[in-house]
Amino acid sequence: MKNDRLITGNFAAAWAARLARVDYIPAYPITPQTEIIETLAKWVREGLMDARLVQVESEHSMLTAAGAASLTGARVFSATSSQGLLYGLEMLYNMSGWRAPMVLVNVSRALAAPITLAPDHNDVLAARDSGSVQLHAENAQEVVDLGLLAYRIAEDRRVRLPAIVNLDGFFLSFTREKVDIPEQAKVDEFLPEYKVADPFSATRPVSKGSSVMEGFAYSYFHYHIHEAAQRAREVLREASQDYESLFGRRYGPVEAFMLDDAEYVLVISNSFATLGKQAVVSLRKDGVPAGLLKLRMLRPFPVQEVASTLRGRKVVAVFDQNLSPGSGGILYPEVTSALYHLRDRPKSVLPVVGGLGGKDITKHEMMAVFERMRALGRNGETAPAPMYLMRDDEMARVNRMLSVARGVQPKK
Amino acid sequence: MNAQDFPLYGAERRGAPVTAFTRVSDGDILERGYIFDPDISVVMDESLLDDPLANPLAGLRRGGVLLVNTRRSAEAYRRTREDITILTVDLTDLALKVLGRPVLSAASAAAAARVLSIAEASLQRAVADELEEIGVGGGLAAKNLELAGLIYAKLKPMRLETRELGAAETLVPLSVIVSGSGSEDAVSTGNSYLRRTGDWRTYRPVIDYARCTDCMVCYAYCPESAMSVKDDGRISIDYDNCKGCLICVTECPLRAIVKQQEGVA
Repeated sequence: MKNDRLITGNFAAAWAARLARVDYIPAYPITPQTEIIETLAKWVREGLMDARLVQVESEHSMLTAAGAASLTGARVFSATSSQGLLYGLEMLYNMSGWRAPMVLVNVSRALAAPITLAPDHNDVLAARDSGSVQLHAENAQEVVDLGLLAYRIAEDRRVRLPAIVNLDGFFLSFTREKVDIPEQAKVDEFLPEYKVADPFSATRPVSKGSSVMEGFAYSYFHYHIHEAAQRAREVLREASQDYESLFGRRYGPVEAFMLDDAEYVLVISNSFATLGKQAVVSLRKDGVPAGLLKLRMLRPFPVQEVASTLRGRKVVAVFDQNLSPGSGGILYPEVTSALYHLRDRPKSVLPVVGGLGGKDITKHEMMAVFERMRALGRNGETAPAPMYLMRDDEMARVNRMLSVARGVQPKK
Repeated sequence: MNAQDFPLYGAERRGAPVTAFTRVSDGDILERGYIFDPDISVVMDESLLDDPLANPLAGLRRGGVLLVNTRRSAEAYRRTREDITILTVDLTDLALKVLGRPVLSAASAAAAARVLSIAEASLQRAVADELEEIGVGGGLAAKNLELAGLIYAKLKPMRLETRELGAAETLVPLSVIVSGSGSEDAVSTGNSYLRRTGDWRTYRPVIDYARCTDCMVCYAYCPESAMSVKDDGRISIDYDNCKGCLICVTECPLRAIVKQQEGVA
C-alpha cells in the first residue's frame, strides 16, 4: 500500500531518521538544513520518536559527539550544510578512522565567499576523501530511501563508516513533491538493530583512534578504510535487493535514463538530473539518441557501472555543479579515468560546469550541452574545451549589479 | 496527478518579497526550481509589478493569466501586456475583513485554484492541511477556510491555452564572463537605500506632530533606520525605506504615531 504525501526534501530526510529509529541526534542549525532538525525536535518533543536531540555549540562538536555516541552502539543521525560541513570536516575523517557509522545528511549550499544560500556541490565534495560513503539524491523519494539504505551500508560489519546523504538546498530541500513514506514495520524488517562488537561503556573502557606515529601502522589502517569503502558497493547491492522486495524501489549506484541505444549521454548527479532528463525526453521526441547517466553513489565511486554504461557511446558530457579552481569540474576526471582503459571508450568527453551557487539552468542551456555533444560527434574533436554555463540575460544582471557597486544609480 | 512546489526567499526578513512556484501535471514532472514560463502569475503585492528585480511578468506565456491583488480594476493594467488576461481581486481587503490581518496565503491559493478549475473541496482540504502543518487550527483555520471560500466564489475558471513567448537565449562564453578584473569590490557601499523597501508596506506609520515631543524613542527602535531628524529638529519617516513593521507605533510612549492602511485615503 502506498502512503503518498506531498513533502519537502528536508521533511523526507527527517522521515528517514524517524523510520530508522535513531537514538541520538547531535545538532547545529544552518540554512537550508535547519528544517530537518526542527522537524526532528518537534517529533521528539511530541513523543513520536524515542531519541535524544542535543543542540551542541558547533558542527565540530556535533560530529565529535556523533562519533562517540555511535561507538557506544547508539544509532546516530545529524544534518548539516555548506560551511557547517567544512567546520566539522576534521571530525568526519576521525569518524571513518574510528570506524564509527552514522548517517549525516548534507543539504548542499555553495561555500562563501561570496556568501549565498543556494546549492552547488563543493561542500559535499570537500568531504569526498574523508572515508565516508556518499549517496546523492535527485528527489524527495530518494532522500528518504537513500537515508534508510545509508544506515544499512554504514552499519554493515564490512563497512562501518559514516555515510553522507546529499540533497540540494532549495531545489530539493524546500521543494515539495510526492513521496511514498515507507511503512515502519517494513523498515524495521529492512534495518536490523545496530550492534557494536566492543562498544564504549563506562565500566569497560575501550580506546579508539589511538596514535600510531609509525607510517606503516597508519597505512595499515587507511588501507582498511579504503577496503571498507570499496565493500560499500556490494552492501548497497544486497541492501537494494531487500529494499526492492519490501518497497518496490531499487537503487543502484547509478541510474540509467533512456540509455538504450543512446549515443549522446549526459552524466549528472543530484537534483539537476531532473532537468537533464527533461532535455533527454524532449530530444528523444525529435529522434535524437540522447540519454542520461545519473551518479547516485559518489563514494565509493561506481567505476564499473560508469565504464559499462558509457562504453561504446559516441559523446559523453559530464555536468559538474562544482568547481575546483585551477582544474575544473571535480567529477570530470573521475568519470574519464573510469573510461580510459576501455578500448571502445567515447571519443569525446565534454566537461560542463554549471549551476554554481544555485545558478538556474534553463531547458535552453541543457539543450545547448546536447547540441555541443552532437557537434563533437560530427567533427570528431577529442579534447573539447569546457563549457562554463552562463546566459546573456544573467551576464546583463551581473553587469547591472557591478555598476550599482561602483556607485552608478540604476535606471528604473 | 502530480504536484510540486518551490518557494524562494532571500535571508529571512519579515515583509520581504518572496517567490513561489507550483507545477501541476497529469504525468511525471521532469522539472524543478524556477518556472521561467508560467501559465499563470499571481502577484500578491502590486508594487512588485514595477520592481525590476521582481519582474513578475517575465516569461508569462501568451494567453496566460495575470492575477493581481489590488483595489484597482483590471482596466488599470490593460496596457501592461496585450497578449494575456488580467484579473484583479482585492485579496488584502478581504483578508483584513475576515482574518483581521493581511495574511494572503489562503486567499491567493483560492484565487489561483479557481482560475485553474481546481475543485473547491480540494482547495478547502489543502488550506486545512497546510494550516494544520504549521500548527494553526480552531477559529483561525475556520476563518482562513471562510476567506478561501469567499475568494473562490468571486472568480471564474478560465480555459488556458498558452504558448511560450519564445524569447531568444544565448550562452556567454567564458572569455566574456572573465573579461573584467575578476576581483570586483563594492566600492560604493551603503547603496541599499536604492532598494525601495517602502513598497512592501501594508500599513504606514504616520506621525501626529501635535502630540510628538521628539523624544526619539521611535528613532531608537526603528530596525531599518527609517527615522531621521530634520533640520528643524523634528522626527520624520523615510517612506521609501520604512517597511511598515509598525514597531514605532507600538513603542511611541505618547501614541503619537498611528497606522494607516496603504492605498486608503
